[in-house]
Amino acid sequence: MTMKTSFAFALAGLALVVLALAPLVLPDYWTGVLLGMTGYVTLATAWALFSGPTRYVSLATVAFFGVGAYTVAVLNEVMPYPLVLLCAAGIGMTMALLVGLSTLRLAGVYFVIFTFGLAELVRQTVSWWEVNVTYTMGRYVFLPFEGRHIYWQLLVLAAVTLLISWAIGRSRIGLALKALGDDETVAAHAGVDVTRIKLLLFVISATIITLVGAIQAPRWTYIEPSIVFNPTVSFMTLIMALLGGAMRLWGPLVGAVPLFLLFEWLSVSFPDHFSIILGLLFILIVFVMPNGVLAKFDDLRKGNRA
Amino acid sequence: MSAQLKITNLHKRFGGLVAVKDVSFNLHPGEVVGLLGPNGSGKTTVMNMISGALTCDAGRVNVNGVDLTRMKPHRVAKHGVARTFQLVRPLPTLSVAENVLLSLAFGRKRHWGREARDLVEEKLAFVGLAGRGDEQVGNLTYIDQKRMEMARALASEPSLLLLDEWLAGLNPSELRIGIDLVQHLQGQGMTVLLVEHIMEAVRALCSRCIVMSAGEVIAEGPSAEVLDQPVVIKAYLGDDHA
Ligand SMILES: Nc1ncnc2c1ncn2[C@@H]1O[C@H](COP(=O)(O)OP(=O)(O)O)[C@@H](O)[C@H]1O
Ligand SMILES: [Mg+2]
Repeated sequence: MTMKTSFAFALAGLALVVLALAPLVLPDYWTGVLLGMTGYVTLATAWALFSGPTRYVSLATVAFFGVGAYTVAVLNEVMPYPLVLLCAAGIGMTMALLVGLSTLRLAGVYFVIFTFGLAELVRQTVSWWEVNVTYTMGRYVFLPFEGRHIYWQLLVLAAVTLLISWAIGRSRIGLALKALGDDETVAAHAGVDVTRIKLLLFVISATIITLVGAIQAPRWTYIEPSIVFNPTVSFMTLIMALLGGAMRLWGPLVGAVPLFLLFEWLSVSFPDHFSIILGLLFILIVFVMPNGVLAKFDDLRKGNRA
Repeated sequence: MSAQLKITNLHKRFGGLVAVKDVSFNLHPGEVVGLLGPNGSGKTTVMNMISGALTCDAGRVNVNGVDLTRMKPHRVAKHGVARTFQLVRPLPTLSVAENVLLSLAFGRKRHWGREARDLVEEKLAFVGLAGRGDEQVGNLTYIDQKRMEMARALASEPSLLLLDEWLAGLNPSELRIGIDLVQHLQGQGMTVLLVEHIMEAVRALCSRCIVMSAGEVIAEGPSAEVLDQPVVIKAYLGDDHA
């Protein structure tokens, strides 16, 4: 490891310690803010893990997020918490494998539309199941967690996600991902098993996203499909990653922190107009910054014409 | 001598168009063979079927005794077949060195780390891009992009190289450099299938030629003989010149 990397690691470690100690001195409200922010940092980083280099823009974030939360809601009284998390990860992974195998052939806008549809499909299926099979309209999550307990778990997950992103970025898989984002045909002729690598990254990304949903579930106490499958989660994750730069290790974090604070303030100050403002902001970011960090997404999947 | 590349009765149609019809030929180890023919005669399609970019409708592709028919491109690459593209296809978000590293990392021997970096430099030096690995491919001139693509192809350590009009678009002095490079490879024992329109290059490089027209092989043999055959001249220039 070079001096520079060691220094970066030391700095990141220090920041982690400070962040971990923060709830001991901060009022509960600010712990809650940190919690939500860490959740989105993790979501955006995990999203960018796959969508950044491959340029497959996924709106399925909330499908996995919601499945994670629902798994906890269904299983939290049946088995010990660590096992519940493991189940959530397993379910997310299996779902990602199935979705990936059937959709990673789709290119460009078809993939975007499919992933958006998938999130709706999962939400409707869960609703239907709850109403017609289990006869429950919503579920309660009774876990003895305070905000800071959830925050600490998310902090660990965020750190692990960044570590995975860092490791992939310097591995041959990271190189292959960048290459196939540019031109799948060239990557394949260079010896890259394009389908396998895309699937691998989609599964890793989706599993982390599922875990974010699972860990955050106890925060709501009461859970129903419209809460945990809210498409806003997908859109917010997407613009955070895009704003900061989905191709860089720290990009999603850099985008997530200010945007989360902004959204937090907006939802408190303008609760009725939040969606409109979110939409406008989305358009603004995409149109006003085409030459910024978003330039990379302008030529969305441009390189993949065979 | 056993054939290194053996193509038998390859066939490919696109909708109603028969692009390649019953094409068979062999390449022996160390041979540089020209694949000629007017535009649209099916040369690129043949190359695509060898490299796995397209699957054939019928026929077989055999390289070094291994049946590669209908194999995916990444597996074909691992069996020692590398290619360049008719229109250069650099990977723009990767540096020059990373473009080459990709083939080393996923080629036959899966090089990585310091050893791979040394090999990248070696390949770049071979094509005349020594010390330019950190440059962005977008800043390279046309011939340098072609060089980089050649380095990327060689980095997967192939035994058979498919060059699709690799020399096209070069000015006369660049062409000389390009021909020298291929001759250098030939000297190292590389087997090359060369799609080419520039007769100067064909005469300089190819001991043997295969000529296609409208998807079929119409002539085959030593370059000097084949290029003067009336049927070949007619295919290239039309009836008036035969
Ligand atoms: N992917 C494709 N889809 C449809 N037609 C194609 C495709 N590739 C090539 N062709 C057609 O097949 C014929 C042979 O093309 P090609 O192999 O590129 O010729 P050449 O390389 O000899 O100029 C042409 O008529 C071309 O238009
Ligand atoms: Mg061609």
